[in-house]
Amino acid sequence: MYDLIINVEDLTVELGGNPVLQGMNLTVCAGETVAVVGPNGSGKSTLLRCLAGLQPAASGEVRVFGEPPADDGPFWRRVAFLADEPAWYPGLTAREHLELMAAVHPEARMTVEAALDVFALAERADAAPLNLSTGQRQRLSLAAALLRPSTLLLLDEPERGLDADFRARLADLLDAYTDEGGTVLMATHDPGLAARARRIAPSPGVAA
Amino acid sequence: MTESEISVRSVRAFVRSRSRTRSSAVDRYVTAFCVAMFLAVLGDPLSGVLAGLAGPADPARMGAGVALIAMALTGFLAAARAAGPVMLSAPDASWLLLSPLDRRRLLGRTGRALVLVAVVAGAVLGLGMLAVLGAPDRLVWRLLGALVLGVSASVGGMALAVLGQASQSWQVWLTAAMAALLVLAVVAVSGQLRTVLAIAASAPLPAVAAAASGAALVSALLVRQAWASLDKIPAPVLVTASTRAGHVASAAAGVDPGGFTWIAEDNHWRARKLTSRRWPSLPAPFALAWQDWRRLARRPGRLATMFAAVALPAVLAQAGGSPAALGAAVLVGGLAVAAASTSGARRDGDNPALARLIGVGRRPALAARALLPALLSGAWTTMALAGLTLAGTGAGIGAGSESWWLFGPLVAPALAAGALRMVRRSPVDHSLPVIETAGGAIPLGPVLWAATGVDLALIGCLPAAIALTAPSAEMGAFLAAQAVTGLAVPAGYVWRAKGRAGG
Repeated sequence: MYDLIINVEDLTVELGGNPVLQGMNLTVCAGETVAVVGPNGSGKSTLLRCLAGLQPAASGEVRVFGEPPADDGPFWRRVAFLADEPAWYPGLTAREHLELMAAVHPEARMTVEAALDVFALAERADAAPLNLSTGQRQRLSLAAALLRPSTLLLLDEPERGLDADFRARLADLLDAYTDEGGTVLMATHDPGLAARARRIAPSPGVAA
Repeated sequence: MTESEISVRSVRAFVRSRSRTRSSAVDRYVTAFCVAMFLAVLGDPLSGVLAGLAGPADPARMGAGVALIAMALTGFLAAARAAGPVMLSAPDASWLLLSPLDRRRLLGRTGRALVLVAVVAGAVLGLGMLAVLGAPDRLVWRLLGALVLGVSASVGGMALAVLGQASQSWQVWLTAAMAALLVLAVVAVSGQLRTVLAIAASAPLPAVAAAASGAALVSALLVRQAWASLDKIPAPVLVTASTRAGHVASAAAGVDPGGFTWIAEDNHWRARKLTSRRWPSLPAPFALAWQDWRRLARRPGRLATMFAAVALPAVLAQAGGSPAALGAAVLVGGLAVAAASTSGARRDGDNPALARLIGVGRRPALAARALLPALLSGAWTTMALAGLTLAGTGAGIGAGSESWWLFGPLVAPALAAGALRMVRRSPVDHSLPVIETAGGAIPLGPVLWAATGVDLALIGCLPAAIALTAPSAEMGAFLAAQAVTGLAVPAGYVWRAKGRAGG
């Protein structure tokens, strides 16, 4: 177990020649919840993609668990990353997607039944994900991310499509995750979720 | 001119006047010139083909030929039903469909386009029919009769598909027509129609004229009925068909054929009621790959169609296909069967978000996902080769030895690797240059895209491909070589696989 989960030094990222992140520094320790806040286009999602090893940096250094992040199996067994809606496997129900997740990760954090219950999907468990509403699909994505064991949870706007009640419940679920020793870093526009986390801004001059 | 017609025309004229891409007289001239050039270029080889049709056909091949034509017509009807066939462009479906405009006038343009498509398809069918039955005398009149029969069949079938969109009872008739065509194909290929086909091939011209007239009359009645039913097609049915067509058009415009598979899959599962079943306890890569097995088990119809198609190479052999064509049919069929059972790798290749959440390494995932396509393509090619041997055409595959089927299991791993490479390929790279050659311009992006996957399958199946396309009695060396490449190529592919988690 690394105490320092994320270490970002002087990170600069350019997209299409435009600097999105400039000289950013960040350290995140085990058990912390960090909310990256800021207006649209301030580089929140870009930072998350850098931490997931999906976006190369123009300069600076990014270390996750003491190493540069790598888009490979061993890295993703420790990191759960939820950004845009995933492409669901054809022919499987919502429950079967969670069953698959539990089958691949034998040390699951909760049972499939518990996940369906916690994420209020029990009544729609036999539906194909494409037939769920936007909010229900987001809950299914979150259920998949939180059912599996991980050390670091990277969430890009996890509140997308969720109603107010479930956003509050999500904050509790994230607290429970960090209580177990996990670390959460999320980009969010939700004041409620941000209020229960250490807030940072990805760009200089943006109030956190 | 009716008031409703004026309304639709005035709306379309208004839309055209705001369009940035209004066609000028020069555009129309260029289009007409291109069509004229195309016909002029096509004229010479076409007349050569038509002249080659004169004379009696081989009675032994008539049954298989008629079976292929019947299956082609069934495919045409199935495609028409899958497409809609009546649909509108996305803007028309959004803005004009749910307006007070006359529905039949609004759909008239689509109706005319469908007739045009059916006429072209019918002409091809007619030519095929003449090639199968031959023209013992008066080639021009027999050609005309075959064209009228082919066009009547396709236009009538298209009308039936339009009627099926408007009413469930016509949908039953369309299904019955497709089933009858399939039965005809089976009976024809079994040789039961040999006498009937011999009579049809040597039928006197008045009989051909009577048959063509009757078919044209039935077709015209169906078209009239379909035209009358245009305003009875429910709006939701048209909206669904138009949305689907919009997605397909986007995929085609972006030269992203992989998009078609996504659309077809999503449409299929969106309309199905599923029941969850417990996931088996398997090692992680196999638990991930189990998704393809479960999907396949939930589509028994597709599986049945897949394995019904094992007879196609044998039918092709009976119709006089060359050894090269038969070998290609077996290997391409095996590759298609393998590619049809790789939806998980396709999804993860296009959008790896779920694969990253699952977190299985790319090599174990690929190896586990190769199992099902290898099993299916192995079974398919084995059965197809056994079918060719049983068909006993006297030359080529199936001649000289009964061990051709051994190539089936040996090519399976290479076909699975090729299929996986095919479904994991990146979208077409349109930034690659267009190479000018003496035979015309070759866009490198689409060519490389099309070759990805097929290249690996071909390398992995090279000994089998040589043996199948140029059959010889000495198969032992080819079998041994195939056993080596069949294992080495997929092993190398999995070992060298780069990319994200989840394969």
